[in-house]
Amino acid sequence: MNDTIASIEGGRGFWTDSGKSGIGAWIFSTDHKRIGLLYFYSVLAFFLVGVLLGLLLRLELIAPGRTIVGPQTYNALFTLHGVVMIFLFIIPGIPAAFGNMILPLQLGARDVAFPKLNLLSWYLYMVGALLALTSLFTGGGPPDTGWTFYVPFATPTVTNVSLAVFAVFIIGFSSILTGLNFVTTVHRLRASGMTFFRLPLFVWSLYATAWVQILATPILAITLLLIVAERFLGTGLFDASRGGDPLMFQHLFWIYSHPAVYIMVLPAMGVISDIIPVFARKPIFGYKAIAFSSLAIAAVGSLVWGHHMFTSGMSDTAILVFSLLTFLVAIPSAVKVFNWVSTLYKGSISLAPPMLFALTFILLFAIGGLSGLIQGAAATNIHVHDTHFVVGHFHYVMFGGTGFAFFAAMHYWLPKIYGRMYENRPAVIAWGLMFVGFNTLYFTMQVLGMQGMPRRYYDYLPEFATLNLVATLGSWLLAVGLVVMLVNLFRGLFYGPPFPANPWGGATLEWQTTTPPPTENFAVDPVATRGPYDFTGVERT
Amino acid sequence: MRRPLACPLAAALTLLLLLASPRLAATEEPVHQHPTAPPPATGATEVGLSEQLGKKLPLDLNFLDENGKIVRLADLIDGPTLILPVYYRCTNVCNFLQGGLAHTLPQVKRTPGSDYRILSISFDETETPELAAKNQRLYLDATGTPFPPAGWRFLTGDLAAIQALTGAAGYRFRRQGADFVHPVASFVVSRDGTIVRYLYGTSFLPKDLTLAFAEAAEGRIGATVRGVVAFCFSYDPQQRTYVFNLLRVAATVVMLTAGSFLAFLLVTGRKKRPSEGA
Repeated sequence: MNDTIASIEGGRGFWTDSGKSGIGAWIFSTDHKRIGLLYFYSVLAFFLVGVLLGLLLRLELIAPGRTIVGPQTYNALFTLHGVVMIFLFIIPGIPAAFGNMILPLQLGARDVAFPKLNLLSWYLYMVGALLALTSLFTGGGPPDTGWTFYVPFATPTVTNVSLAVFAVFIIGFSSILTGLNFVTTVHRLRASGMTFFRLPLFVWSLYATAWVQILATPILAITLLLIVAERFLGTGLFDASRGGDPLMFQHLFWIYSHPAVYIMVLPAMGVISDIIPVFARKPIFGYKAIAFSSLAIAAVGSLVWGHHMFTSGMSDTAILVFSLLTFLVAIPSAVKVFNWVSTLYKGSISLAPPMLFALTFILLFAIGGLSGLIQGAAATNIHVHDTHFVVGHFHYVMFGGTGFAFFAAMHYWLPKIYGRMYENRPAVIAWGLMFVGFNTLYFTMQVLGMQGMPRRYYDYLPEFATLNLVATLGSWLLAVGLVVMLVNLFRGLFYGPPFPANPWGGATLEWQTTTPPPTENFAVDPVATRGPYDFTGVERT
Repeated sequence: MRRPLACPLAAALTLLLLLASPRLAATEEPVHQHPTAPPPATGATEVGLSEQLGKKLPLDLNFLDENGKIVRLADLIDGPTLILPVYYRCTNVCNFLQGGLAHTLPQVKRTPGSDYRILSISFDETETPELAAKNQRLYLDATGTPFPPAGWRFLTGDLAAIQALTGAAGYRFRRQGADFVHPVASFVVSRDGTIVRYLYGTSFLPKDLTLAFAEAAEGRIGATVRGVVAFCFSYDPQQRTYVFNLLRVAATVVMLTAGSFLAFLLVTGRKKRPSEGA
């Protein structure tokens, strides 16, 4: 691969070589890196909005009784926190932002298969996002249903559920189109010599994710349309008094939304699979097992949605089957974890910031995954259902997992894209603050849940006061860490020292081009001559 | 219980859900009454219909045709057959039933006599072949087309044969003076006499008839258009009509589209670049 490296030393790559500038060079660009950055800044902005909402929620819960907001506002806050974090940050976060930036580079392609469709996806995402924000300030006020929009409450509530739901509907299309684009890109635009088993594992995970996006997202779209039909046309589909079935909504919703969990976490696993070998200086252990486990998670993960509904009145048979399938999906997840750990074994580990975040992912994801099994088992599920335990669990998986993988990806790939480097020390300090803050916040939540504190209540019994105070303090520590991390990162990316082509010695193709990459990624189309984690002869440059 | 959903989308989603949930799927089974042996036709107090779907009619029964000739049911039922239990002197609903059918038949895009046949069978044992022949002329004329007489036969028979037939079909009626109290329904049987579908009321939809005939012919016709039609429509026992099975169709279309997309990608493979040379 090294033969094909072209050098544009001293240049700013795609930032300058198109000769265009101004906002038009961004919002009309079909360059995957620019679209990736558009996504990145959009999702990051919404992430910060979500963080603020989350901090407000924690602040309300710092002491029993009303602290800063009343019940209705609290309901709106947790709904918005969920909608913003899930639909605007975590679903598009890694696939749309880093997938766009990195996927064609890793394939040795000049761009994605459908660059214009790619830009359209971003526009759809933004339209949906803006509509979601509009829903806060118009109609009957911000939605208060929770991000799941459960009926029957979603039908009679006077808040602006219809617009919010429509916004999510549009964002869904963005997701479908991105999935279609990535699947086609992986099949059609691989570099010469880039066989399927030479694909980096990040590509494998994006590929599996893309199929889930294509097949599952339409169900969400239809479900959301049905809510709108229910609200405006009074179809009675979910209304038991008119022959409908509220449980049907939960099925339809989770048929999408559980696979969506894998849309969120699979790309994160791909990021980790790419980072760990580079910083352990060892080929990944069990490449094929990890690649196929992505597909297995995508497939089995599409069949486990009922575990969200164990207390909804499903039949025992359904509960048994869904519980079993839930346990099965733990197998490919564990395959990944064991393979990552085995990769580390006897590796030459360098604890650079991307690696710190990646290792944290393994720990936090393992805690989240294991606490998931407690809920996947029907009997224990009943004890913890709709408690803070669940909130803690999915924050471990989604934030501790995908969120930390997102931070890992930021520290791993953004210097390549920007051509400048952040400082190491503040990044490590930020990581430490976030790690401690995170566990203080969410582990405490799990304990609270075990003790019986329900989720989605703005008030609680006095005996939960101490732990809630601890959790809120943890949220502050986490927020401080986040600020330190972002300030350090962006200061580095804009003003830091130049970042060389391949300082960490990555063997995948994105490290074989100049920093930052030129508009069409490679001066000469690269040829893949070996696997993505074969570090023989790869030098840190 | 499948609900009569007006909106096909809704129906599809219900079905999607039903596929998804074992519990709901279990309750999806149409609830049919399975009474014990129907009471004797005449003299019984209870008039009604207990569907005997999947059961077989005794095909060795003898009836008289319009010419007074003795015919065996097995000889007449040699393909999908619609059977109308009526009596020819009936002054109202039997006329509506047969008139409604005559009105619809020209719109059924199948060949009478070969693709399907119709049997009007009188459950009044006192009626004669002459009356049957008169009815045949009347209703064949009413179709407004040159409808082959062999495609719609009018039978009369003795009490034993009538009771054997109606009893097997779960059809219970009662004589009341010169008239009868009876359900207004007809049913479709396949070649071997298996009851495939009951059709209710005096009006027929060409779609319902076509589908019922297609269903009755299933197993013989193989993968033909009719087979596809039968795949796309399923019977809603509550609405008692055929409904477009949007879920099944949409799921098939989606999986086929996604599958062909994948197949296309796999077959075309990697796109060669100009720099690679050819």
